[in-house]
Amino acid sequence: MGIFKQREREIFDLMASSSEVGGSSADYETMMSTSDVELLKRAWRNEKAAPEILQYEGALVERAKEQIELVEETIEDYVENGKDPLLVSLYQMDLDRTQFLLRSYLRVRLVKIEKFMFHNLKSEEAERRLSEQERVFATKCADDLVKHFEETVLLKLPENYQSVLKQSQISEVDDMVPQPHLDTFVVCRSNNFVSLNLYEEGESPETVEMERGDLYFIRYKIVKGAIESGQIDLI
Amino acid sequence: MYGRKGYQLLKDFASGEKGQLKPFNSKLFDETIEECDQNHHLMQSLMRKMQQEDLDVQNSRNADHYGALIHHLSLMRNKRCLMAYVYNRAEIVRDLAWRVGLELLDLPSEIQEKLTSLEKEYFKNHSVTLKSYMGKVGIELNVDMVPPKDPYIKVRILDDIDEGIVLSDKTTNFARHSMHFLKRTDAEPYIARGQMEELTD
Repeated sequence: MGIFKQREREIFDLMASSSEVGGSSADYETMMSTSDVELLKRAWRNEKAAPEILQYEGALVERAKEQIELVEETIEDYVENGKDPLLVSLYQMDLDRTQFLLRSYLRVRLVKIEKFMFHNLKSEEAERRLSEQERVFATKCADDLVKHFEETVLLKLPENYQSVLKQSQISEVDDMVPQPHLDTFVVCRSNNFVSLNLYEEGESPETVEMERGDLYFIRYKIVKGAIESGQIDLI
Repeated sequence: MYGRKGYQLLKDFASGEKGQLKPFNSKLFDETIEECDQNHHLMQSLMRKMQQEDLDVQNSRNADHYGALIHHLSLMRNKRCLMAYVYNRAEIVRDLAWRVGLELLDLPSEIQEKLTSLEKEYFKNHSVTLKSYMGKVGIELNVDMVPPKDPYIKVRILDDIDEGIVLSDKTTNFARHSMHFLKRTDAEPYIARGQMEELTD
């Protein structure tokens, strides 16, 4: 037990002083830019809770990838130089957590794309929020599914009923496209004082006012704009 | 009674456990498609009858019109049932790709039996799409599915894997029932396929 406590003190000393760990870039605090991790965590939480797909944080993802690579190299370096294994293990755990965040963020987005394939390709707003590669993925995914539908069902049906998106030739709009439910309730917290319209424009202008730090359980549609501008976070 | 087969097809699907597939019910499926054909023929013959009587097919409202309408509605309902069946199964197939693995041969044989050859095609195509996305982004997305608590976990081997494992930091022989202390990211794919189990105590 006593040895453990001493190790702890050593590690804290190491973390506090930058000169011990060889070079300023190896200081623990700056190893993984904490603000970027915070941003990633926020993007991840919002993405998980929102019923539709949100804007792709391209710059953040790129920075995160670079930093993860950098940390991985540093850790390899340490292992080869026989650095204190407990310290290495701490860095490794921190790296694992950040990698999980990044992977989960991309995964949640892919699942949403899969779920609302046709809607995302039809709605311009949704298409703008995808990254270049996600757009390619969505197109190919939709193609795969259409092909699967055609071979399993559609080509066996009579002619006017063979469309994937419309029920029949008579339908005026694409009525078989599932859309995200924007009316779902979400839990959110406000970062600033925000005043929002509860109803659509033109109807009774009741507003809800949120103070900084207030928690609200409210329909997603209402807070959608505020989330995009960063004033409100989903939990 | 029109539409009953479509309903039975969906009930068959819903009676399986959520997230699990039952074998593809080709019998009901084909019967529903036959019914669609029937509906279509009857509808067309009714419409032809109206044309022969010199009635405006779009706008006149007589018994034949309503008969044709019923056939049309039944056809649409059957189409929706059929597509819902295929769509929901496809959703589960995609889910399998995430949970178990991207190679068709990695799927346990009980699951492979329940998929039709068309569904297996779809699975392969979807895997290709996923792999190409992951390649472009440069990150593997089907590891690390659970938030990491400990970097190393204790596992027990359930199947005979022996030499088939590549680990990132050591090489060991994996005999059945042996226990090892592995890195979480290395062990995850094997746990997902049921070849190892995590020991939590």
